[in-house]
Amino acid sequence: MWTVPRPKYRSGLNEEKLTVNIGGVKVVLYGDDLKRYPDSRLAELANCSTQNVELLSSLCDDFDPGRNEFYFDRDPDSFKCIIDVYYFDEIHIKTGICPICFIKEMEFWKIDQSVLDECCKSYLSEKEQELREIANKVKVILEDMDVDQCITRTQRCQRFLWKLMEKPGSSLPARIVAIASFLSILVSAVVMCVSTIPELQVTDAEGKLVEHPTLEAIETACMLWFTAEFLLRLASSPNKLRFVLSIMNIIDFMAIMPFYVVLSLTYLGTTSMMELVNVQQAVQALRIMRIARVFKLARHSSGLQTLTYALKRSLKELGLLLMYMGVGIFVFSALAYTMEQSHPETLFRSIPQSFWWAIITMTTVGYGDIYPKTTLGKCNAAVSFLCGVIAIALPIHPIINNFVVFYNKQKVLETAAKHEVELMELKSGRQARRKSDE
Amino acid sequence: MFMLPQLKVIMEKSSELNKAGSRSTSSLPPEPVDIIHSKSCYRRVRLNVGGLPHEVLWRTLERLPRTRLGKLRECSSHESLMEVCDDYNLEENEYFFDRHPGAFTSILNFYRTGKLHMMEEMCALSFSQELDYWGIDEIYLESCCQARYHQKKEQMNEELKREADNLKDREGEEFDNTCCAEKRKKLWDLLEKPSSSVAAKILAIISILFIVLSTIALSLNTLPELQGTDEFGQSTDNPQLAHVEAVCIAWFTMEYLLRFLSSPNKWKFFKGPLNVIDLLAILPYYVTIFLTESNKSVLQFQNVRRVVQIFRIMRILRILKLARHSTGLQSLGFTLRRSYNELGLLILFLAMGIMIFSSLVFFAEKDEEDTKFKSIPASFWWATITMTTVGYGDIYPKTLLGKIVGGLCCIAGVLVIALPIPIIVNNFSEFYKEQKRQEKALKRREALERAKRNGSIVSMNLKEAFARSAELMDVVVEKSERPQDNHLSPSHWKWTSKRAASETSSNRSFNAQELGSPCEARATSPQRLNVEKLEEMYSQMAKTRSQPNLNAKDRGSRAGKQRDEIELGTIQNHGPLALGVGDMKSLSSIDSYISCATDFQENPRFPHSPAPELGLQESSRFTFGPATGLSQHNSTKVGQQLLGQYESMLTSVSKSTCSENPRKFFFSGNSSKSLKGGCCSDGDSGPSPLSDSSVLSDHSLLSPEVSVYTTASSRTPPKSPESTAVAPTVFTFHDSSISKYIDADTDDDEHLRDNNEASPSERLLASASPKRSINIHYQRGTNHLEAAQKMLGQNCLFPTEGIRGKTHGNHIGPEMTRRPKVERGRQNPLDKSL
Repeated sequence: MWTVPRPKYRSGLNEEKLTVNIGGVKVVLYGDDLKRYPDSRLAELANCSTQNVELLSSLCDDFDPGRNEFYFDRDPDSFKCIIDVYYFDEIHIKTGICPICFIKEMEFWKIDQSVLDECCKSYLSEKEQELREIANKVKVILEDMDVDQCITRTQRCQRFLWKLMEKPGSSLPARIVAIASFLSILVSAVVMCVSTIPELQVTDAEGKLVEHPTLEAIETACMLWFTAEFLLRLASSPNKLRFVLSIMNIIDFMAIMPFYVVLSLTYLGTTSMMELVNVQQAVQALRIMRIARVFKLARHSSGLQTLTYALKRSLKELGLLLMYMGVGIFVFSALAYTMEQSHPETLFRSIPQSFWWAIITMTTVGYGDIYPKTTLGKCNAAVSFLCGVIAIALPIHPIINNFVVFYNKQKVLETAAKHEVELMELKSGRQARRKSDE
Repeated sequence: MFMLPQLKVIMEKSSELNKAGSRSTSSLPPEPVDIIHSKSCYRRVRLNVGGLPHEVLWRTLERLPRTRLGKLRECSSHESLMEVCDDYNLEENEYFFDRHPGAFTSILNFYRTGKLHMMEEMCALSFSQELDYWGIDEIYLESCCQARYHQKKEQMNEELKREADNLKDREGEEFDNTCCAEKRKKLWDLLEKPSSSVAAKILAIISILFIVLSTIALSLNTLPELQGTDEFGQSTDNPQLAHVEAVCIAWFTMEYLLRFLSSPNKWKFFKGPLNVIDLLAILPYYVTIFLTESNKSVLQFQNVRRVVQIFRIMRILRILKLARHSTGLQSLGFTLRRSYNELGLLILFLAMGIMIFSSLVFFAEKDEEDTKFKSIPASFWWATITMTTVGYGDIYPKTLLGKIVGGLCCIAGVLVIALPIPIIVNNFSEFYKEQKRQEKALKRREALERAKRNGSIVSMNLKEAFARSAELMDVVVEKSERPQDNHLSPSHWKWTSKRAASETSSNRSFNAQELGSPCEARATSPQRLNVEKLEEMYSQMAKTRSQPNLNAKDRGSRAGKQRDEIELGTIQNHGPLALGVGDMKSLSSIDSYISCATDFQENPRFPHSPAPELGLQESSRFTFGPATGLSQHNSTKVGQQLLGQYESMLTSVSKSTCSENPRKFFFSGNSSKSLKGGCCSDGDSGPSPLSDSSVLSDHSLLSPEVSVYTTASSRTPPKSPESTAVAPTVFTFHDSSISKYIDADTDDDEHLRDNNEASPSERLLASASPKRSINIHYQRGTNHLEAAQKMLGQNCLFPTEGIRGKTHGNHIGPEMTRRPKVERGRQNPLDKSL
């Protein structure tokens, strides 16, 4: 048919009209509009002849030949949004419709997701992200639940150990283990601090201050506990590689390692395979590593985990904070240095030295070890203090926001996952029953 | 469409002619045959939910046969249909449900797609009620919407719980069973409720002044210029200031003692945190006096002095007495108590930071000449002062490494402290708002109490009493295991309400038994795992019918917990129930009514069952006595009129047609002409679906209204057996969680204004903004009544007396004519061709 091209405005009568009834809402559509998306359900409907009952019934739910009306048993609200694609080539989700639900509707109408506009896509992806997180949680819960799948005895032992060490909520012994490990972390941290008090130290044969023997004994005991814990975890973990790579376990390892290194070094030192001075220096350096054990607390506190998560998510803002601070420090320390040059007894001897002053001023700590003495310098200090407050306050807000959002979300996800598991149980239970009925 | 059978043939032939045919004008229900025929004719069904038409395949509805819509397909008689839907029209194949249309869209989509999502703007609570009504378990909600839903719901539950706690506290202040209760009550009000009178306000201000004065004196006392020296060369108090101190303490002591004497519950008073503070503020003074007097010249004077010094420090606690007079301070205390989780987090963060940075700086500064970082504990101080950005400057790092650590410490400190603070702040602001709101509500409540005491109100609030008791059941029931300390004697219950309650309770428990038996029969329900529990509960309920005093409380709590199961269970009931006790949703609330009603009956032997008693105390205020001058308002009149009408109806019924379903009479009685005349003066302000809540509140108000009628009716002396049978049926039209709405309303429940001109929209506004809601209640009362009547009129069955029947047509007419008539009588050809 290559007759005269049709006028842009429809004559009405000659047009191929299609009346659809979507869950009670009637819409009149025009065939050539629909055919712009030939894969979609409505286009197929427009193409298919009314005589082909078989095909027709697969496409729509009901057909009224008298009025040439096709009935679809679908949500009319979503359809009103979806029909936009034929006119505007893009779809916007009406506010109020759950995007996941909307995507299902789009699938029914056989319209590709790509026509969804960007503004709604971000919303959708947000929801999908949430769903994924819930799914992860559900997976963890389900993993905990299926206990009896292990066949061999060793496997069962492994599973039992794993639950004992990793899931404090699973049983009373597991809880006790968790509390014991928490206490040992605290004790070892306290011991580490206390052992540096000069009054509590004893002088050894060479007149050097060394740790008190009792404190050292406690330290050794804690270390043995940590080691045992770590090894048990390692032995019982179902996936060794994942275990080794996880951050918490690396921290554990860092907390244990210095002790053994120091032990071996002193052994080497006494057997004079190495020089004693070197050994002592190395030991000193390794002592700092002991601080890592404080981070072990993170395993027992969801708040700390949230903190690390939030910080990880807001790395960009942290960078911004550091950049603001860095710029401020440079500018104000240089200014302060030049302004204070006129004073004969200035405390600002060089620019790098006045960095320290700038940091302390900008964070409003203000030790008072270095302070400006000239009037100009004082003005500069006031400005730098103000700028410091602003520079810290601005980027810190998104970080805090991240933290709060994660903190609140944690709780919500927890309940959502639980309900999801319940739902799954319900469904599986019903299926099982249906099968048994049959 | 309801037609006489002989007309039926004609009607089918020329259905066009009968457009205006409304079911209620003709008087007979359609035959089951007609219903089945109509259902088999169409593949689709039109559902009209709150005015919004939907069209759906029967096949789709059959996917969930146990839900309300699923049941619709099974219904083959008029009665069973009316239990499922509110109205129907076979001619147009249309079924009407008087529910919120917004939620229904998502619910219908659940049938279509099998996925239950929730509209974004929908309130979670209202959605859950809709789910209850349509018989869908909330567990089917998809996880993307579930998080939001449950969060909101938990929050709401918490709030309700707190509200109930508050209510309990307030209701606990009962002055009975002891001497001079009247005076003590007055004194208590004077001392504890500064807003109750001018004198109380002045007293509160004086009290504040004394607190401030004593604190100032305490501080001035330590100025060396004002101190004198005693014979031992020690500095002593300035004599003038000592006098001030003595006066202040005398005042505090008097205040405390008066409070203690007038308090209704001594132990509770003693335990209260504010009173503990008071005691702590007074005690040190007396202990000091005692110690110095008794040890004037004894040897261990130095030791005594030291003890005295400690007690002097404790005097500073009196500044906390200000908390009694400041909402802000109280909510600060509450916030700290509530957000101890976050506070713990803050302290944990700080502790970790301090530990890490102090050890780092210790290792960095260790080798410096005369360093102040001598050990890690010594550098804790530095780390704390740096992380909190105080920076005294008594210790500061000197090496380069130490300075780098110091800089990091500053920034980390700022971050770490800032993080958990917003959560605490959020808690605080939430609480503060809540506190303010409650203060206002309290004031209004007190105004009402006063008015009642003056005799200016004789309350028609029985419905609210019922509503509140039901609501409390919902909330308190969960904690009823907890031992209660407010032993309240029910001896002051007014006999009328008590008797009424007990009578209705017998009706209801009878009803419950009727309901219970079918549920037991279906014990093998596949829907839920804990059917056994349900069964057990029902059998227990049946037991308690015969011995109502037996663990009613326990049962009540069960009823609360098992609500979902009950609903699910009842939904399975396909056929019509024997006694016309149909509506599934009403079951659960009947339960709560029963449990509170049976508790009405139970006697002082059960002094600790909090909820029902509270309900009773509420209701005890509301008597049916003859209304006096001022308090008389329209709704009372209407109520009485109605009552009278109803009574006469009932008696006539019992004489003439005992076999008829009493429900019909009941409803027709309600909507009879004379009553309409009584309250139709504001007929144009009838309930219109302005928004969800107005519609819902109309709904929700049905039940208490109705319960007023029932209690009233069963109270009347010439009681016929039929009248008891009425009671259960009236619960048919309300839904399970009504009571919550009513509680929301009862905040503004007090007020005397003979004004009927308020429309539901105004009421809506009033409940939305507490400021506006002063003295709204009376309008509301009438509105409710009217709304209830309209509802009843719409829902009513065929009146046996033709005269009354005419009034119904008015209500149904507009609803029906609004429907487009296109579909009417249409056959579906595709049906045949396929």
